[in-house]
Amino acid sequence: MNSRALFLSIPRWQIISSGVDLNQVAVVVDKNLVIDATPRAIQCGIQLGIQRREAQRLCPSVEITEHDEESSVASFNALVVVLESITPRIEITVSGQCSFPTRGPSRYFGGDELLAGLVGERIAEALSATFGVDKNVATSQFRIGVADSYFAALIAASSNVESNIHIVETGGNADFLAPFSLHLLRLDSALAKSVELISVLQRLGIETLGDLVALPSEELLARFGKPGVLAQQLAQGVDFEKSSIETVSGVLMEEHEIDPPANRIDTVLFSAKSLADQICQDLYCTGTACRQILIEVESEHGELSSRFWRHEYRFTSADITDRVRWQLEGWYRSSAPPTGPLSLVRLVAEEVIRDDGYQLEFWGKQTSNDEQAIRSFTRVQEILGIDSVTVAQHGKGRRSGDIEQRVPLSSAGFIPDRQIALPEYTNAPWPGRLPAPLPVLVLGHAELLQVIDLEGCEVRVNGRGLLSGEPARLRSDSLGSHLIKAWSGPWLVDERWWDPIGKDRRARFQFLLENGAGYLCVLRGGSWWLEASYD
Amino acid sequence: MQITPTPSISKNDLHQISTPSVLAHNRIFPVIEELAGLFRDGGIHQGSTVEVRGEAETTFAAALTIAVSQSSKWTAVVGLPGLSSQAVSHLGVDLSRWVFVDHPQDHAAEVVQALMGSVALILIGSNTKIRSDHGRKIAARMRSKGTSIITVGDARGYNLRPSFSLKILRASWSGIGHGNGRLTSRRLEVEAVHRGVTSNSHRRLFYLPDEQGQLSAIKQSFLQVDPVASRDVRKQGGLQHFDEDVPQAS
Repeated sequence: MNSRALFLSIPRWQIISSGVDLNQVAVVVDKNLVIDATPRAIQCGIQLGIQRREAQRLCPSVEITEHDEESSVASFNALVVVLESITPRIEITVSGQCSFPTRGPSRYFGGDELLAGLVGERIAEALSATFGVDKNVATSQFRIGVADSYFAALIAASSNVESNIHIVETGGNADFLAPFSLHLLRLDSALAKSVELISVLQRLGIETLGDLVALPSEELLARFGKPGVLAQQLAQGVDFEKSSIETVSGVLMEEHEIDPPANRIDTVLFSAKSLADQICQDLYCTGTACRQILIEVESEHGELSSRFWRHEYRFTSADITDRVRWQLEGWYRSSAPPTGPLSLVRLVAEEVIRDDGYQLEFWGKQTSNDEQAIRSFTRVQEILGIDSVTVAQHGKGRRSGDIEQRVPLSSAGFIPDRQIALPEYTNAPWPGRLPAPLPVLVLGHAELLQVIDLEGCEVRVNGRGLLSGEPARLRSDSLGSHLIKAWSGPWLVDERWWDPIGKDRRARFQFLLENGAGYLCVLRGGSWWLEASYD
Repeated sequence: MQITPTPSISKNDLHQISTPSVLAHNRIFPVIEELAGLFRDGGIHQGSTVEVRGEAETTFAAALTIAVSQSSKWTAVVGLPGLSSQAVSHLGVDLSRWVFVDHPQDHAAEVVQALMGSVALILIGSNTKIRSDHGRKIAARMRSKGTSIITVGDARGYNLRPSFSLKILRASWSGIGHGNGRLTSRRLEVEAVHRGVTSNSHRRLFYLPDEQGQLSAIKQSFLQVDPVASRDVRKQGGLQHFDEDVPQAS
């Protein structure tokens, strides 16, 4: 069964939530990629998805803010609270986008137009009141779509029309969707990764959603399998999950009284974690999974925070715990925080679907192994702190510290088979980089050294890169004193010479000691440093 | 016997799964072909402790993980904050399933135990302190969980008992002169000793890295531990070495 839905999206939400003025030239970056930009930044040629460096190249004065998912979700929560007087069933998809079924509220408020107008009004008010967005800007700083299916409402909200409220007539879904490009299918979470499918369809000459609807569905099923049919259903304006995946059971609910009532979020999370485990276990036993969950937390004084959360695929217990944390942090930061300690946490699995499971790859690429590994890393994070487990990421630059980066697993997320981009060593020239093979141990804190020539004088490099004498002996606290058997250098690096603060001039040397150990040493500002070891 | 295919099959595992006895200690983590000759069974026994010590120990320990990293199993690096992931990936290690726990502080033993069973290999470096009673617990858990540990440096320094010891007897760089050239390749002489197996130590020669930055084994059909012979090989290689007058470390 289809249900009419209202979809609200706030363009530039990441910018607004990070507190940056929309009139500035500014971008928000996440993992070095630009995820949101102000209109003026876009005028400078900055596009979403480009790298931080690229954005800085296009517009050197651009203001860069790091993305903080938790605060972004929490502040979106604060925004959505104003809609709760209209309908209680608001589903937040991602921060900056939410939706709700309109059947009840639309009748109550006297039609879709009035309802959408009301939603727009409230959001604009909240935007200017809470986030300091300029009043005139705020009235155009949201987009609302109402249509017969979730997907069509999403398209209606994001399609480019002069008004920022777009209402598709009842029954007009298919006609409305027909002229849109096939690319829009990727906006739906179920098809977000189906680049291949869309590309094949386009090469077959199918350009619009209307063309796709015209194809016989059994042929699509035969050629493309389930994703093909799903794509067609979306294009027809039928909600996939509502029509072909039936809701299996009624409601699965778990609640826990916190006794004594807790003042700390951690304590509530701890209870929520065990509830989430229990729900997931129950669902697992019946072969089902949950994709929408209602989280309710009550305080001792009877205040209630209640919110729906939707997951694009299905909730695991860790996902649920995350949502509880976001909701609680949002609640405490909101204008009406709980006045007493929290006494009850309740989780209700709302939309329960059959668990089709993952298809494990036949060769290699395993996921059960990964899940187990991630669990154990979580355990390590519990012992040592959230940033203790890191993965490798490679940047560009000349210094080891620029190239090597360890990113906490918690912020990088785990993407199986992620590509770790390596700076190419064979192709593009990068003047001043270290030649391969690279030193395998980079010392965290460079250590002071003494390098002396045959006469016993400290070796120096002059402005033209000439040595004062041949290095003959190396002395340091940790290594002791050693004869230098062979050496190479100086390799001069002069970085950011135009910048009085950031400039860095150094000469690098490779030293091979008599005991067979190779070291990379640096002469900088008149003193020698041990930088890395070829151990 | 009915074999249920576990989801975690990789090509390398296939012959192990199809063999009837699958006790944890009979299973083996693969190592790359060049290194297989060092191990009696062609790979690292699951649940064993491998010790790598001597000059170039860090690089060599990393090289031992190449095949495991490529078979989409996990490797954890504990207490090696300086390990350059870039250098390691140039050796051929696939870093997509490598994680680092750089500073285990006083909880090294707990960390290692938490990782046990869910990662294939744990590389332990100098920033790790394990008490002796924890070391025994870890050894017992390793046997039951099938995770192997590779220690960079003397395993006894971490209160672990090595079941297999790789000692790098000598390492000699080539390609560097006095103010010219650069470090390009390094020749290693490695001695492998199995615990509990008497007179079963043998020596192999490797380039790590070779001119391409990878690990390569030196064919040595005629070469035994004889230093004269090993010098011959070096001369045949035509590379300039600097270890001629250094007494052999032992």
